[in-house]
Amino acid sequence: MAFSNEQLTRYSRHIILKEFGIKGQKKLSRGSVLIVGAGGLGSPAALYLAAAGVGRIGIVDADDVDLSNLQRQIIHGTDDIGRPKADSARAGMLAVNPETEVRAVRAFLNAGNIMDIIRDYDFIIDGTDNFPAKFLINDACVLSGKAFSHAGILRFSGQLTTYVPGRGACYRCIFKEPPPPEAVPTCRQAGVIGALAGVVGSLQAMEAVKYLAGIGEVLAGALLTYDALTTAFRKIALPRRDDCAVCGAHPSITAPVDYAQAACDLTA
Amino acid sequence: MPETPGAELRPDARADVTDVVCPATFAKALAALEDLEKGRILEIRMNDGEAARNVPLSLKDEGHQVLKLRDNGDGTCSLLVRKLAD
Amino acid sequence: MTLTVAGTPKEYPDGINLTRLIELEKVETPMYVTVALNDAFVESGGFEAAVLKDGDTVEFLYFMGGGR
Repeated sequence: MAFSNEQLTRYSRHIILKEFGIKGQKKLSRGSVLIVGAGGLGSPAALYLAAAGVGRIGIVDADDVDLSNLQRQIIHGTDDIGRPKADSARAGMLAVNPETEVRAVRAFLNAGNIMDIIRDYDFIIDGTDNFPAKFLINDACVLSGKAFSHAGILRFSGQLTTYVPGRGACYRCIFKEPPPPEAVPTCRQAGVIGALAGVVGSLQAMEAVKYLAGIGEVLAGALLTYDALTTAFRKIALPRRDDCAVCGAHPSITAPVDYAQAACDLTA
Repeated sequence: MPETPGAELRPDARADVTDVVCPATFAKALAALEDLEKGRILEIRMNDGEAARNVPLSLKDEGHQVLKLRDNGDGTCSLLVRKLAD
Repeated sequence: MTLTVAGTPKEYPDGINLTRLIELEKVETPMYVTVALNDAFVESGGFEAAVLKDGDTVEFLYFMGGGR
């Protein structure tokens, strides 16, 4: 595969990086990323990955753009209100980089469809806003041997980890089970600063770029926490659980599981 | 491929980066080098000025051997570089 | 005794257990916090029995469900 002058110009800031180079750019263009959730985390992740020249991007979201989304979901504009988020996000990515192949998936992920949806992608980004979805994505990625980026944000804090098969803890090693519905606040109930979603979603994009291009070290086996109010980043080493229900030595979970959602999270 | 001293250096491949601007000039030179085997020589035609100043330095910094810069007298110059790094 | 809690060394009364530390640190949603003690997870049923000693390192990992 040879790059055109336009591509060499578009990606020149990547290519001239010694550690990245033509090889890194080729890997990105052959790579694919599935972004689950075209929201606060998914918006910056999608824009950066499309701009970076990732060959194929899938964007999953079943909701429509709402006015209250626009404070942080920067891939959508005011004119997109009422439009399916997956379609709006696809248009946003293509506006940045028409060369990227973008597939919009207007669906909620569930135990029945997730294995099929993630199958075609090299790396998954969890940009969802609820625990049932986060556990579902974790389990499906562990079961299908896929790397993925977990992130969560709340009020002024965020967290991030990257699961790579065989290289450290999965999300379920840290948090064994979803908390009971409404036991732990979500953004919807507690609020979040828009730029915080931008910081954490951009970190997720960076993890995907490193993973696809094979540069540096992804955040495997560690949880990065970010406290926006004190501007403190911490990287906490994560032990693995040998008895983890999905990635442990004797897993009890061998197929994706649906959990009940908090009632207030069911309405868009 | 050892060269005889004084003999004309023969490029194994050519690239023309006069149709892009910095830093795409360097990116295009790297793309051309990517397709060559180590030890082979690439001739890069570039515009005088910024490209002629920067591209040789950048290639050297990447670990390649800059052999010769020749003024073509038409506002361009040609650089001979031997691929040494991956 | 000195414990390093969430990366910061601090003085605590000798012999406290994880349950007491969680109270002292005013951990939100203590029912659902994951605790790593010296780089190993402690089951939530084991907080009472986990008596801390000088030099221990404790991390609290919180559920963060937001993203959209």
